[in-house]
Amino acid sequence: MATIDTSDTRSDVTPRRWLDAQRRHDGGAGRRALLAGASNGLFILLQMALIAWLVQSAVVQYAEPATLIWPALALIPVLLGRSLTQAWQETAGQQASQRVRSTVREQLLRRWAELGPVRLAGSSPAGLASQMVEQVEALDGYYARFLPQMWICVLVPLAILLLVFSLDWLAALFLLLAAPLIPLFMALVGMGAEKLNQQHFQLVQRLAGHFTDRIRGMTTLHLFGQTRSATGQVAAAADQYRRLNLRTLRVAFLSSAVLEFFASVAIAVLAIYIGFGLLGYIDWGPATELTLFTGLLILLLAPEFFQPLRTLAQHYHDRAAALGAAEQLMRLLASASEAPVERKATAAAEGNAPAVDLRGVTFGHKGRNPVCTDLNLTIERGELLALAGPSGSGKSTLLQLMAGFLQPDAGQVTIFGQPAGEQPMAWMDQRPCLIQGTWAENLRLTAPGASIEQMQDALRKTGLESLLNTQPDGLDTPLGEGGRGLSGGQARRLALARVFLAPAQLVLLDEPTTGLDAVSEAHIIQGLQQLIAEGRTLVVATHHPQLLEASSRTVRLELPRPVSEEPGHETE
Amino acid sequence: MKQSDFDTLTPWLRLLLQQRRRLWVGILLMAMTVGSAVGLLTVSGWFITATALTGLLLAAGIAATLDIYVPGAGIRAFALSRTVSRYLERLYNHDTVLRLLADLRTTAFDRLTTLSGAHLTRLRAAEWLNRLTSDIDTLDNLYLRLFAPPLVSALGVALVAGLIALFLPLTGLVIGLWLAVLLVALTWGLARRSRRASAELSERLEQLRVHTVEHLQGLSELTAFGTLNHHQLELQLRTQALEQRQSEVVRHIAHANALGTFGIQSAVVMTLLATLLAFQSELISGPVAVMLPLAVMALGEAFALLPKAFGHWGGTVAAARRLNDESAPERLVSGTRSAPQKPHLHLDRVEVRYPAHRHWPALTDFTLDLPYGVRVGLVGPSGIGKSTVAHLVSGLLHPTGGRVTASEQPLATIDRSAWLARVGYMTQQTDLFNESVASNLLLARPEASDDELWQVLYKVGLDSLVRELPGQLETPVGEGGRQFSGGEARRLTLARLLLKDPDIVILDEPFSGLDTLTADGIRAVLEDWLPGRTLLAIGHDSSALPKVEHLVTMPVAGPLPDSR
Repeated sequence: MATIDTSDTRSDVTPRRWLDAQRRHDGGAGRRALLAGASNGLFILLQMALIAWLVQSAVVQYAEPATLIWPALALIPVLLGRSLTQAWQETAGQQASQRVRSTVREQLLRRWAELGPVRLAGSSPAGLASQMVEQVEALDGYYARFLPQMWICVLVPLAILLLVFSLDWLAALFLLLAAPLIPLFMALVGMGAEKLNQQHFQLVQRLAGHFTDRIRGMTTLHLFGQTRSATGQVAAAADQYRRLNLRTLRVAFLSSAVLEFFASVAIAVLAIYIGFGLLGYIDWGPATELTLFTGLLILLLAPEFFQPLRTLAQHYHDRAAALGAAEQLMRLLASASEAPVERKATAAAEGNAPAVDLRGVTFGHKGRNPVCTDLNLTIERGELLALAGPSGSGKSTLLQLMAGFLQPDAGQVTIFGQPAGEQPMAWMDQRPCLIQGTWAENLRLTAPGASIEQMQDALRKTGLESLLNTQPDGLDTPLGEGGRGLSGGQARRLALARVFLAPAQLVLLDEPTTGLDAVSEAHIIQGLQQLIAEGRTLVVATHHPQLLEASSRTVRLELPRPVSEEPGHETE
Repeated sequence: MKQSDFDTLTPWLRLLLQQRRRLWVGILLMAMTVGSAVGLLTVSGWFITATALTGLLLAAGIAATLDIYVPGAGIRAFALSRTVSRYLERLYNHDTVLRLLADLRTTAFDRLTTLSGAHLTRLRAAEWLNRLTSDIDTLDNLYLRLFAPPLVSALGVALVAGLIALFLPLTGLVIGLWLAVLLVALTWGLARRSRRASAELSERLEQLRVHTVEHLQGLSELTAFGTLNHHQLELQLRTQALEQRQSEVVRHIAHANALGTFGIQSAVVMTLLATLLAFQSELISGPVAVMLPLAVMALGEAFALLPKAFGHWGGTVAAARRLNDESAPERLVSGTRSAPQKPHLHLDRVEVRYPAHRHWPALTDFTLDLPYGVRVGLVGPSGIGKSTVAHLVSGLLHPTGGRVTASEQPLATIDRSAWLARVGYMTQQTDLFNESVASNLLLARPEASDDELWQVLYKVGLDSLVRELPGQLETPVGEGGRQFSGGEARRLTLARLLLKDPDIVILDEPFSGLDTLTADGIRAVLEDWLPGRTLLAIGHDSSALPKVEHLVTMPVAGPLPDSR
C-alpha cells in the first residue's frame, strides 16, 4: 500500500522529481522493460552478424550450401528472441505504467478522504474527477514507453559502438563523432517538442474552447436564429488554428528532420567509406583489413545505432504530457497529510456519555470572524436539538464539526464519548447525493448490507412506497441521474430513508425541509418524529416553526459572533 | 460485423475523400520516404558487396573496374531524399489533418444545430461535451493512422516484391504473398482481435468519471455513514476493470508488433537464402544477392506504424458510431406555416417525456392558456417541470402528448425560425459566448447600432461598467462570461433580450444572482417594456418574478403520482 510521501512536501519538488518518485510503485516492471529492450538490442546484433557472416561465406568464400544450413537455422531462435523481447518490453512497460497509475489513483482517493467533504467543497467534482481520469491517464506513456526507452537509448548504441570499434575503429569514430551530437539532438528534439506542446496545447484549448462554447450555447444560438453564422465561425476558427499551428510545426519538425538527416548521412558516409576501403582506395588505418563481413555488418548496424533515439523522439510528447499532469497532481497529493480518517462501522456507543459534547470549541474559517468561540454544548441521548439563526451564522459549520468533517481550532468535540469522526452517524443535507443507478443501489450507498424488506420498510416510513409501487422493476428500477425525475422533495425523502436504514444513533440534519412542497415537508417531519421515537438523537439546523416546536431545545446562533445558548421550548 | 464497421465509418471516410488530391499527394510523399529508405539500404548493400568483390579481384592481380560514382551519388541522393521527403510528408500531412479537423468540426457542429432542444438540454452536458470533442479528435486521425499507412505499406510490398521478381520471379512472388498476408494480419486481423476491448476503453473511462463525480458528490454522506471505504473499494474495482481492458489492448498490440518483426525479418532471411542459392547457381550477381534482402529489411519501417493504429480500431469505430448517433435521435422538424400575428398561446394537456428517462415524464397533463398580452407567472419547486413549459412555449421542444397551439394553429406546423424570431426567451442558464460584449448583444439584432447597444446596457444598469472596461463594447466577456459576475452576466443576457424586441417574452429565473436593489431597478425597466407583449415568467416563488397578472403554482398535477 502506498503512503503519501511526506518527503514530497518540500518546496523544491519539481514535477520531474515527483514523477521519478512514483517510479518505485512499478514493482520492478520498469526495470524488466529496460532489460527486455536491452536484450532486444543484443538479438539485433546477433541477427545482423549472422546475416553478414552468411553473405561472407556464400559470396566471398563460395561455401557449400550445406554449410550454410546451421547459421541459417540459428537465425530462427534469434529472430524469435528479437520479436519476443520486443513484445516483452511493451507489456512490461504497460505493467509499470498501470501499477504507477493505480497507486496514484489510490493516493487521490485517500487524499480526498483526508481532506473531507468540507475542504473539498471549493473544487468542482468534475474538475477533481478529471484528475482521476485524464491526468492519471496522461502519466501512461511516460512510464510505459519514455522511461525504458531513455535508458535503451544509451545502452544499445553503446553496445553497437563497442562492436563496431572492434571491427573497424575508424568506422566507430564516424559513429562516435555522431554520438556527442546525440545529446544535442535530444535537446533539439526536446526543445522542439516542448515548444510544440506548449503552443499546441494553448491553441488546442483555445479552439476547443471556441467550439464547446458554441455547443454549450446552442439553445441561445437557436433562440436568436444564429446557428448558420455560428457554423461559419466554427469553420473560421478551425482554419485559423490550422494556420497558426502549421507555423509551429514547421519549426518543430525541423529538429527531428536534423536527427533523420544525421542518421541518413551516417549510413551514406559509412557505406562510401567501406566501399572505398574494400576497393583498396584507402591504404591506411583499419580500412585495409575490411572484409565483406565486417563492412556489411557495420552497414547493417548503422541504422540500428540511431533507431533508439528516433523512437525516443517519438515518445517525447509522452514526457511533456506527464509533466503537465504531474504539476497538477502533486499540488493536491504532496500537500501535508494528516492521519486518514477511518470510521469503524460497528463502533458501539460507550457507557453513558452524552450523545454530543462540545467543550470550549473555537472555530473560524480562514480570514473571517470566528463562527464560535469557546462554545460549550451538551446534547443528551434521545434529544431533538434545533439549531436556529440567520444564514451565515454557522449552523452548518457546527453540524460539520459534530460530523468530524472539520477539526476545531481549539477545544474538543466528542460523540458518545469518542472524538468526533470516529464512528458512523447519519447525515442529511439539502442536496442529497443521488447516484446513477437503481433505487436499491442508491439506498445501499450508505447501508451496503440492507435487505429488500428493510429498504421497503424505510421507503414506507418516508412515504415513498406508493411511488415505488409505480416503478416497473421495483427497487431495481433505475433512478434518473441527479434526481432528475424525482422532485426535490422526493429526493430528500429518499435521503431520509437512508437515515432509517443506518444503525447510527446520532442523526445530523442540515435544513431538511427548506424549499419543499407541503407533501414532502409533512413526510419529513413525520419521519423525524419517528426517528425520535426510535430513541435516536437528532441535531437539526432549521427555520421551520413546526420543527422548532417539536424540538426539546433550541440553540440560537447569531451573526457575526455567536454564541448565546437559550433554553428553548421544553415541549416534554 | 466488419461490414457494419465500415458502414459506421463511411460518412467520415467520405468527408476524407473530399480532399482527394491532398490525400494522394500525402500518400505519395509517405511512399517516397519509404522508397528512399529502401533505396538507401539497397544501394549501400549493393555497393559494398560490389566493391568487396572487385577489391578481391584487384588484390588477386586481375584487372577489374567498377563505376563508383553512380552508386555513390545514389547513396547520397537517397540519404538526402529520405530526410527531405520525410520532413515534407510530416508537414503536408499534418496540414491535411488540420484541414480535416476543421471539416470534422464544422460538419459535426452543423449536425448538432439540427438537434432538438430537448436533446441538448437534457443530456449530461459536461460529460457529453468531453466525449464529443474527444470523439472528433479520434476521427481526425483516421487518415494519418488508419487510411494512409496500410496503403503505403502495400505500395512498399509491391515495390520490393517487384524488385525481387525482376531477378528471381518465383522468390518475388512468394515474398510478395508472404508480406501481403502479414499486412492483412497486422491490419484486419489485429483490428478484429482487439476490437471489443478497444471499443470498451472510452466507455469505461467515462464510467470511471461518472462514478468518481458521484463519489465526490456523496463524500459527506459516505464519510458520515462510515461507508467511504466500501465505496472506495467499489471505485477501485471499476478502475481495475478499465486497466484490464487497457492491458488487453496493449497485449494485442505487442503481439502484433512481435508478429510484424518476425514476419519481416523472416522474409529477409528467406530472401537471403534464396538469393545466396541463386548466386551460387550463377543466376544473379553477388551484389544483387545482398541488395534484395536488404530491400525487404527496409520495409520494416513502414510496417511498424500499423499495429498501434489498428489496435485502436474498435475505439475509432466506437467514436464514429457515437458521433453518428448524436445526429440520429428525433430531429426537430420545422413547419411551414407563417407565424400568426398576436398569437394566443394554448397548452392543452401536454405531456413531455425525455428520451433518456422514459419512465419519468417531466411534465404530465399540464394545461395553460396565454392570450396575447397577458402576463403569467409560473412558480413551484425546482425539478417540477417549469423550464419544460418554457421550452414548449418557445417552440424549442414539442410535447410527446397533448397540443401546443398558437391562435388555434399547432406550433409544430409553424415555421420554426419565423416563430423563434417572435420569441424572447431568457433561459435559466446564462449563455454568453467568449467574444466581445458587442457581439454577444448583436446576436439578438445584428444590424443594431452602437447607440442602441449603449441604450440597452443603460436600461439594465451596465453602461457605466462597460464604459470602464479597457475595450468598452469590444472587450471580450471571457469563457462563459467569466469576466462578469453572475449577476452582471445575467443582466447582459437581459439586455440582449431587450434588443431583440419580441412579442412573446419568457423569463426563467430572471433575477437569480441579482441583489434586491438591482432586481427592483430591472423590474421597473420591464414594467415600461412589457406592455403589448405576452409574458411567461418562471421562478421558485413570486418574489423572484416581475409583476404578473396571474400566478400559476406547480405542481398543478405533480409529475408523478404522490402518496397523498
